[in-house]
Amino acid sequence: MDIEPIRQTLDSEIQPVKTLQELEALRVKYLGRKGTIAQLTGSIPALAPQDRGPFGRQVNDLKNRALSLFEEKQKQISAGPQEESRWSLDISLPGIAQELGHKHPLTQVIEEICGMFKRMGFSIVDGNEVETEYSNFTGLNIPLEHPSREAFDTFYISLPPTKEGKLLLRSQTSTVQIRAMKSQKPPLAVVAPGRVYRPDAVDASHSFMFHQIEGFIVDENITFSDLKGTLEFFAKGIFGQDIKMRFRPHFFPFTEPSAEVDISCIICRGKGCSVCGRKGWLEILGSGMIHPNVFKNVGYDAGKYTGFAFGMGVERIAMLKYGINDIRLFFENDLRFLKQF
Amino acid sequence: MKVTYNWLKEFVEIKISPASLAEKLTMAGLEVKSIEEKDGDFIFEIEITSNRPDWLSVFGVAREVAAVTGRKLKKQKSHKALKPAIKNPQQFSIVIEDKKDCFVYTTKIIRDVKVGQSPNWLKKRLELVGLRSVNNVVDITNYVLFELGEPLHAFDMDRMNPHSIIVRRAKNNESLVSIDGEARRLSSDILVIADKEKPVAVAGVMGGKDTEVTQNTKNVLLEAAIFDPVVVRRGRQRLGMTSEASYRFERGIDPLIVEIASLRTVALIKESAGGEFVSAETSPVPKRAQTRINLKENSIKRHLGIQVPQSEVKRILTSLGFEVKSKTKDSGLVGAPSWRQDVKAEIDLLEEIARIYGYDKIPTTLPSVFLRSQKEQEKDYFAIIRETLLGLGLTEAITYSLIDRKELEGFWDNRGGLVEIANPLSREQESLRPTLMPGLCRAVAYNLRQQQPYVHIFEIAKTYSKSENKIQEKYSIGIALCGTKTRWFGPEAGHVQDEAGFLHLKGMSDVLFQLLGIDNRRYCFAGADEVQVYASGQKVGLFKRLSRGVLDRLDIKRKEVFAAEIYLEDKLLPLAHMKKRFNPLLVPRYPGIARDLTLQLRQEVSLEDILTAAAAPNEALLTAVDFKDDYRRDKVPAGFKRITIACQYCSPERTLTEEEVAPVHERIVKILLERFQAEIC
Repeated sequence: MDIEPIRQTLDSEIQPVKTLQELEALRVKYLGRKGTIAQLTGSIPALAPQDRGPFGRQVNDLKNRALSLFEEKQKQISAGPQEESRWSLDISLPGIAQELGHKHPLTQVIEEICGMFKRMGFSIVDGNEVETEYSNFTGLNIPLEHPSREAFDTFYISLPPTKEGKLLLRSQTSTVQIRAMKSQKPPLAVVAPGRVYRPDAVDASHSFMFHQIEGFIVDENITFSDLKGTLEFFAKGIFGQDIKMRFRPHFFPFTEPSAEVDISCIICRGKGCSVCGRKGWLEILGSGMIHPNVFKNVGYDAGKYTGFAFGMGVERIAMLKYGINDIRLFFENDLRFLKQF
Repeated sequence: MKVTYNWLKEFVEIKISPASLAEKLTMAGLEVKSIEEKDGDFIFEIEITSNRPDWLSVFGVAREVAAVTGRKLKKQKSHKALKPAIKNPQQFSIVIEDKKDCFVYTTKIIRDVKVGQSPNWLKKRLELVGLRSVNNVVDITNYVLFELGEPLHAFDMDRMNPHSIIVRRAKNNESLVSIDGEARRLSSDILVIADKEKPVAVAGVMGGKDTEVTQNTKNVLLEAAIFDPVVVRRGRQRLGMTSEASYRFERGIDPLIVEIASLRTVALIKESAGGEFVSAETSPVPKRAQTRINLKENSIKRHLGIQVPQSEVKRILTSLGFEVKSKTKDSGLVGAPSWRQDVKAEIDLLEEIARIYGYDKIPTTLPSVFLRSQKEQEKDYFAIIRETLLGLGLTEAITYSLIDRKELEGFWDNRGGLVEIANPLSREQESLRPTLMPGLCRAVAYNLRQQQPYVHIFEIAKTYSKSENKIQEKYSIGIALCGTKTRWFGPEAGHVQDEAGFLHLKGMSDVLFQLLGIDNRRYCFAGADEVQVYASGQKVGLFKRLSRGVLDRLDIKRKEVFAAEIYLEDKLLPLAHMKKRFNPLLVPRYPGIARDLTLQLRQEVSLEDILTAAAAPNEALLTAVDFKDDYRRDKVPAGFKRITIACQYCSPERTLTEEEVAPVHERIVKILLERFQAEIC
C-alpha cells in the first residue's frame, strides 16, 4: 500500500482548517481509534515479513507527521481571532470600568513639591490656620507697627485676644516655624503645606484664600550655600534640569540674608514673553537664613544654630506649570477644569 | 519708586548702559521692575523693600549705584553757606508737645517770593517720575523729596498765625480740609501742625488747603522735620490716606539729611522764585549715638558658607558708607552711617557683605540628611484616603474655608459654635465653615449650570467650630453626589443607570472604613433626609439628602443632591489602623448546600431584620445568610418589596444531603413568613 497519497491528502486537508471543531473532526479521521493511521497499523500483520519493517516505519513517520501538524494547527487556531466573537461584540461600545476621579491640580503640585523635600529628608507637618498675632507676626520678627506688616494684611477672628495677641487666620505658612521650633529641638527639617488667607479683592491673580508651602531647616553649620543647593535641587526637580536660576537679595523680616528665587522663564526660556513680563525670569519663592531674632523668640541658641527657611505660593507654581491664567479656576471646581488633571 | 538714569548721573558717574545698570541693581536687592525710555532719559521703576527707606530717593539709589559699580559719589554743591538775612525777625517759636512724636522740626522763612510756573527742566523731571507740576515752590519741595528723600512742606505764611508752630495731637472735635480738598475729621491719635488757633497740616501726611502755596502767596514758611513712624502710620490709616511724605516718614528718615534738604530747597526756591531767606529755626536735636557692631571674621563662613578676604569685606562696607576699624586679627568694629537705621546687628552686616559680594558667587551645597519625625503618619492616611476616593470615581474639589452664614441653613444650626471673622470684605467671608457640605453643594450647583450630567466630588479639608472661646479646626471628608451616571454592562445587559443616593454614600464609606480597619459600623436614619454613621459606638459622620429649600437656594431643579461628611481627624483617625494579620485559610472539608429564598415583604421590613430573624434560632447547619438581590424593577404591589436571600448549609462532619437540609430550611422559611407576614415568590 502506498503511504505517499495519504500524506498528501492529509497535508491538503489540514491546510484550510479554521476552527477547532473542524480540526477535531479531521483528527478523528486520521488519528482516531478507527482512523486512517490505525487502519494502516492494523494492516501490518497481513504483510510479508520482509515488508513489515519498512512499512511500519513509514506508518510511524506518517503518524508523527500528523501529530505535529495537528499540534501546530491547534496552536495556530488558538492564537488567532475567535470568529464568532467578532460579530457578537461591538468593541466600539464604551469599556466597563469604574471611572477614576481626578485629583485637584493644587493637591498634585503640593504632593510633587513635598515629595521632592521628603526625598531630601524633610518631614511634612500640618499647622493650624487659626493662629495668634505672635505666631503670625511678632515671633517672626514682624513688629506690630511696621510697614512690612502691610504685605501680610490679615483676617481677624471675632474673639477676645489671647495672651499671644489677637486671633487671626494665618496670612502665611511661616507660622509653622514658630510652632515647630517651640515644640522641638534642632536638628529640624520641616515642610508645611497649607491654606493661608488675606483680605484681597478677588480677581484673576488674587484670591482671599490660597495655598503656601513653607520649609525650613535648623542645625549647626547650616549656611546660605546649603539654602542655594537645596532650592536648586528642588527647582530643577520640579521645572527641569535645564532651567537657569538666580537668587536676588530681598527683605523678609524673619530671614537675613534674604533671597527671592527666580527661574528662567519656562515659557520663553529666558527670551522674554508676556508670562514673565518680558524679563525672562519668573519669581517662584522667597527664602533666607532664619533671623537670629526668630531663634531668640523660640528659645534656640542663635550662637549655636543656623538655619534657612523658604516659602512659595502653590497656586503660582501650578499656574506656571500648567499654563493656567486665572487663579479663580482653582476654587470654582468646574469639572471641565478638574478633569484636565 | 521711580528714578531716572540722567538724574542718577548727577550724583554718580555711570559708564554702563541702563539695562546693565538695572541688572546690577536687581542683583543687589533693588529690583528694577521696568525701564522706560522717554524724552532722552530712562525711567527705572524700582521695588524698594520696606527695610530700606534710604533707597527712597535718587541720592540713596545713587549711593548704591556707586557701591555696585565701584565708583565714588560726585561731590555735591554745599548750601551750608546759605544764611538767613535776619535772625529771629519776630521771635518765631517752635513748640513740640511730645518729643516722641517729632524727632526734629525745622522752619525756614522766605519772604517776597514770586510764585509761578516751574522752569521746564523741573516740570519735565517731575513728570518723568510721575508727578504733576503745581507751581515753582511746591514743585521744588517735591523735587527735593524725590532727590534726597526728606519730605518738605511749604506753608503760605500769611494764611496762618505767623508767630508760632505747634506740633501737637489733634483735639477730638477738630477738623481740617487737606490739600486734596477733603474735609478730615481729626482725633487725638492724629499728629498735627498747628498755629495758635488751629491745625494747618496733618503732620507727615498732608498739608491744609487753607495754607497751601498758591499764585497769591508772598511769604513762605518751609517745614523740614522728622515725625515718628508709628504716629504717622496710625494717623494716615485713621484718615484712610497716604502720600509720598507719609510713605517715607513711616519707614524712617536719615536725621542728617533734614538740614541739607531744607537748605537745598531754600536755594532752589531763591533760584526760581526769588525772595529773601530771612529766618531759620530748629527744635533742639536729640543726640543719637552711632550704631557700632562687632563683626567676627568666622561669622561670614558660619552663615554664608564662604570665606571673604578681610580686604574685600572692608571695601564692601566702606563703599556703602560704613566705617570699619580693625579690632583684633579676626574681628572688626563697624559703625553704621546715619541713613542705615535698619542695621542693628552683625547679621545685618553679613547681609550687606553677601549682597554686594554677589549671591551668585556663593556656591551651592546640600545639607546633611535628617531623620523624619513621626507625625507624618497622619498625612499618609490622608493620601491613602484621597487615592481611594479618586478610585471610587470621585473628583477632588477645593472650596473656600470662609462662608456666608446664610449658606449654612439646612446644614448647621449651632450658631453659637461658629467662628466669625471680624473684618470680612464681603458676606461670603463672614465665618469659617463648620461643615464642608455647603461648599461642595455649591460646586455641584455650579457644575449643573455648566450642563454636567452628574457631579460626584469630594474634599478633604478643615472644618472650624468653637466652644467657650476655644477654636477647634479638624479635618473632615466631604462628599457630594448628584445625578445619574450611566454604566454599560455589555450588549445583552444594556446599561445600568446609577441614580446617586444614600446607598452610594454608604458604599463609599464602607470602602473607607474597611480600608482603615474599622469593622464595627452602623447607619441609622435620623429623620427622612439624614443618615447618621456610627463606628465603635461613636457618631463618625452624617449623610444628608438636601431639602427642597436648600436645592431652591442653590437653584438646582429636578435633581437630588446627597452629601456626606465624615469626621476624619476627630473620630475616624483615632479608630483607624492598617495593621494586617494572616488568618489560616479555612477550607470547607465537606461541600455545603445553598438555598435561595425570595420573599415579598412590607416595605418597612429591613434586610437587617430578616437576617437577624433567620439567624436567631441558631440552626446548627445554617452557616450563613447573605443578601442576594433587591428586586426593585419587578412588579411589586405598592408598599411591598422583594428581597432574595441565600441560606448556606454546611456540616463540618459530612456531606449534607437534600433530605437533611430540607426540614431545617423549612423551619427558617416558616419563621420568616410568620414573623414578617411575608410571601414566598
